[in-house]
Amino acid sequence: MLPQPPKYSLRFLRWFCREDYLEEIEGDMVELFEEEYLDAPIRAKWKFRWTVIRYFRPRFIKSFHRRKKINPSVMFKNDIKVAWRSIRKQPFFTLLNVFGLAIGIAGSILIALFLQDEFSFDRMFQDAERIYRTDIDYRVSGEESYYATAPGPMAAAIKDDYPHIEQITRMLEVGQALIRPADAIVNIKEQHVIGADSSFFDLFGVELLAGDPRLALNKPYTMVMTKTAAEKHFGWRQAIGKSMVINDQDNYVVTGVVEDFPANSLFRDQGVFLSIESFEDARSIAWNNWSYPTFIKLKPHADPEELRAYLGTIKDKFLIPWAMTFVPGLTLESSKADEAATGNFMIFGATALTDIHLHSDRRGEMSSNSDISNVYILSFIGFFLLILAAVNFMNLSTAHSLKRAKEVGIRKTLGSDRKGLIRQFLTEAGVITALALIMGVLLAITALPYFNELAEKEISFPFSHLVFWALLLGAALLLGLLAGAYPAFFMSRFLPVKVLKGGGEARVGGARVRNSLVVFQFSISVFLIVCTLVVFQQLQFIRHTDLGFEKDQVLVVDDAQMAGSQLPSFKEQVEQLGQVHSVSLSSYLPTPSNRSVSTFFPEGAITQSDRALNYGIWRVDHDYISTLDLQIIEGRAFDQQFPTDSSAIILNESALVMLGMNAKEAIGTRVTSDFHRDDKENMEYYTIIGVVKNFHYETLRSDINALSLVLGGQPNRLVAKLQAGNFKTTINEIRDLWNEVAPSQPFQHYFMDDSFNDTYQAELRLGNIFLTFTILSLFIACLGLFGLAAFNAQNRVKEVGIRKVLGASVEQLTYKLSIDFLKLVVLSIFIALPLGWWAMHQWLQDFAFRTEISWWILLAAAASAILISLLTVSFQGLKAAIVNPIESLRSE
Amino acid sequence: MGEYSLGEFQELVLLIVAALDKEAYGVAILKNLENETSKKFNISAVHVALKRMEEKGFVESHYGGITKERGGRRKKFYLITALGKKILDEQYDLRTRIYQRIPKISLG
Repeated sequence: MLPQPPKYSLRFLRWFCREDYLEEIEGDMVELFEEEYLDAPIRAKWKFRWTVIRYFRPRFIKSFHRRKKINPSVMFKNDIKVAWRSIRKQPFFTLLNVFGLAIGIAGSILIALFLQDEFSFDRMFQDAERIYRTDIDYRVSGEESYYATAPGPMAAAIKDDYPHIEQITRMLEVGQALIRPADAIVNIKEQHVIGADSSFFDLFGVELLAGDPRLALNKPYTMVMTKTAAEKHFGWRQAIGKSMVINDQDNYVVTGVVEDFPANSLFRDQGVFLSIESFEDARSIAWNNWSYPTFIKLKPHADPEELRAYLGTIKDKFLIPWAMTFVPGLTLESSKADEAATGNFMIFGATALTDIHLHSDRRGEMSSNSDISNVYILSFIGFFLLILAAVNFMNLSTAHSLKRAKEVGIRKTLGSDRKGLIRQFLTEAGVITALALIMGVLLAITALPYFNELAEKEISFPFSHLVFWALLLGAALLLGLLAGAYPAFFMSRFLPVKVLKGGGEARVGGARVRNSLVVFQFSISVFLIVCTLVVFQQLQFIRHTDLGFEKDQVLVVDDAQMAGSQLPSFKEQVEQLGQVHSVSLSSYLPTPSNRSVSTFFPEGAITQSDRALNYGIWRVDHDYISTLDLQIIEGRAFDQQFPTDSSAIILNESALVMLGMNAKEAIGTRVTSDFHRDDKENMEYYTIIGVVKNFHYETLRSDINALSLVLGGQPNRLVAKLQAGNFKTTINEIRDLWNEVAPSQPFQHYFMDDSFNDTYQAELRLGNIFLTFTILSLFIACLGLFGLAAFNAQNRVKEVGIRKVLGASVEQLTYKLSIDFLKLVVLSIFIALPLGWWAMHQWLQDFAFRTEISWWILLAAAASAILISLLTVSFQGLKAAIVNPIESLRSE
Repeated sequence: MGEYSLGEFQELVLLIVAALDKEAYGVAILKNLENETSKKFNISAVHVALKRMEEKGFVESHYGGITKERGGRRKKFYLITALGKKILDEQYDLRTRIYQRIPKISLG
C-alpha cells in the first residue's frame, strides 16, 4: 500500500483550492510526498502539511463568491426544468397531489375567510375598543339567568356618577312593527325596530346620510331609518321630514337616514330607530324593568376593570334604595343577609363591544350571536384539512421515491451533493404547491357562494387585499416546504451504491412513517364522521322529541291586530271553515323569542325574597291550550263558563317546582305580581286553576323555564290548528277572510313547524358545515390512499404475475393487495372512535335535552370508513390482479 | 524589454520548461531547478511561477493521460510559447549585450 499523505491537510487543500488547479497541485504534491516518504516519512508528512499552507493564498483559493452568485439562478432554472419533467412524467400522481392539496387549500381559505369575518364583528365602530355593554347576572329561586340588558333608569344614574364615562346610550327592543307613510294606506312590516337615545349615533361614531346624528333622536316621536328601510317607502333623499305611522297608532317624523349597518355589526338587522323618549316606559324610574340594552363609551385610557368594579356597586347605590321605597323593612344589610342565605345574586357587569359576537349569549341580545366554540371547531377542521393534504403529498412522494432512487443515484455519482438534491426535491414540492395554490384559489372562489349559503354569511373574496395574498403565498410556501421537507431529506439520503447496484428493486424505507401518516389521516376522517353523525342525530332527536305541544299543521297569521275591532269576528269566521280544528288569538308562540319575566309572590309571603317566583307570563285566550294541544295534568284549562277566570293562572311544571308545592296543593293557591302598590289591601291576585305538562318553548339547549298562562293581553297572532287535507285551499280561504277585515294589510302566514325549524338553524348549520368538511377530508384521505394503493399495485406487478401463474385467483390477489391498507384503517378506527365519542359527549352537554350517542353511530362511522377505503383500495388491487401475467412477466 | 517583465525565479523556471521540452510538469521542473541551482525550493513556488507566466502567455499547459502513478491524478505539462521564447531571447540578448560592454580588464 502506498503511503497516504496527511488526511486533514489534503481535505483542507481540496476544500479551498480552485478546482482547475487542484488535480495538478495535488498530483505533484503526492508524487513528491511518495518519493520523500521513502527517505523520511515523518518529515515528508510535515513538509506536505507545510506545503498545503503555502498554497493557501489568493491565487489558489477558489472563489467562494462566484459559486453563490452564478449558480443559484442557473441551478434554479435547472431545478424547475427537472421538476417540470418529473411532473409531466407522472401525470397521475401529480394530479392526485395537486388535487388533494388544492382541496385542502380551498377549504382552508374558506375557513380562514369565515374566521376573519367572525373576528371582524363590531370592530368597524369608531373607538370600538372603548365601548362596553352592561350586563346583569341574576339568580333567584334557584334559577340563574344572564341578561344583556339593564334597568331603564341606570344610564341616567351612572352617567354623572362615574367620571370615566364619555358617553352612554340605551336602547329599547320594539321588535316588529308595521310602518307606513302618513299619506299611504298599505303597511310594510319592519322586522327590527328599536328605541334609541339621542346619543346613540354619536356614541357609535355613526354618520347619517341625512340629518344631524346628535339631534336626530332628541325629541319624542322622531325616527331614523336605514337607507333600505326608507327605500321601501320612498327615495331616501326624500325621507327627511316625512311623517310615518307606526303600527297604525303613533305618528313619527323622520329626522335622519343612516347607511345600512354592515353585516358584521351588532345592528345589522335594525331598520328603524325610534327616539326612546317616545316611550313612556323609558321615563320610568323603576329599576326592575330590564329591557334596555345599554352601552357605555369610556374615556380614552380608562380601565374597563375599574368600570366593572364600579358597576358592581350600583346595585347597592341605586337599586336597593329604590326598592326600599316600597318594600317594607328592606335595608342594605337585610338584602345582603338574604343573598347570603338563599344564594341569590344580582350582579351588574360589562362586556366589551368587540366580545359580544363571539362570547356573549345572554337574554335580550340585539342579534343572534355566534359562539367561540364554533370558531374553535372550524379552526380545528381547517387546520386538519391542510395537514391531511400535506400528509398526502408526503406519502405519495416518499412512496414514489423508489422510482426516483435511480435518478438520485445517478445524480450523486455525477457530483450532486445532498444539498443540491434537497433543493431539487423542494423545488418540485414548490412547483406542485404553486399549482395547487392556483387551483385552490380558483376552487375557493367558485365555492364561496355555496359556502356563504352554508354558513349564512356574506363574505366576499378579498381580491384587492394585498395582505391576504401575501399571507396566502406565505402559507402556501410554508406548506410546500413542510410537505416537501420529509421526502426531500428522505430521498437525498439514498446511497448511490445501493440504488444503482441493480439486482431487483431495493426496498424503499419509510414505510413505517407512511403507515403512521395514513393512520393519522383516517383517524381524523373517522373522528369527523362521528361528529357529523352525532350532530345529525341530535337534530333528529330535536325534531322528533315530544315537545309537549302540537307544531304540525298549525298555521300562524302574524299581525292579526291589524284587523282591529274585527279581530274577534275574523277569528269566528276562521273557526267556521271546514278544515279548521280550532283557533286561538295570542301573542305567544312556543318558539324562542324575547319575553318578559315577572316576579310573583305567593299569598302570605309577599316580598319574601326566598319565596319570589320568576315566571314567564303569557297572555292567551280560552282556546290557546286546546289549539296547541297543551296537556293539562291537574286542574282545568280556562273556560268561558267561569267569568272569574280573568284572574286565573295556569302554571307549567317548572313553575310548580319553583312554587314548592305539588300539583294538588297548588290548585287554588293565590299569587300576585302587584306588590309594588302602596295600598296593600287592594293587591290583585291570580288564582291557580291548573297545571300544564312542561312543553319546550325554548330551544332544547336550555331547561324548560317556569311559565304561567293568564287570560287577556292584546293578541297579535292568530293560531289555527288545521285538519289534515288540502292546506292550500284553507290558507286561501283564510286569506280571503283577512282581506275582508283588514284590506291593504299584508297577510303574513306560516306554519309553526317552519318557525320551529328556524330555531335550530345553528345546529343545522353546524351539521351541514361538519358534513361538508367531513366529506372533503375523507375525500383527501381517500385520494392519498388511492395513490398509495396504485403505487403498491404497480410495484408488485411481477409478484402478482407469478402468483397468478401459480394459480392464485383474482379474489385472493385483490385481498392480498388490499389487506395491508385495511389494517391501517381499522387501527385508525380504534384510535378515532373513543376520541370522537368523547368530543361529542362534551358537545351534547350544551343541550339540556339530548340524545345518547348510540353504538350504531360508532358502528356506522367505522363501517363507512372501512367501506370507502375498501372501495378505494380494492379497485387498484383488482386492476392489478386482472392483468394478464404475460404482460407483467414478459420483460425482465 | 518593454511591457514584459520576468523575475529571476520565473526566468529560471521558464528556461527549464523550454529545456525540458515536452516533459515539463511540476515535479520535473522542481527537480531540474534544484539540480541546476543546488538549492531547495517548494513546489508551491514553482506553481506560482508557472501560473503567473501562463497568465502572461509565456507558457501553455495541457493535461497528460491518466496513469497509475500519482493515484490516478493527471500530470499537467507546460510548453513554452513563441512569446515566451521571444522573451527569453530578448533577455539573453540584453544580458549578452551588456556583458560584452564589460571592459576586458583582468580583475585577478
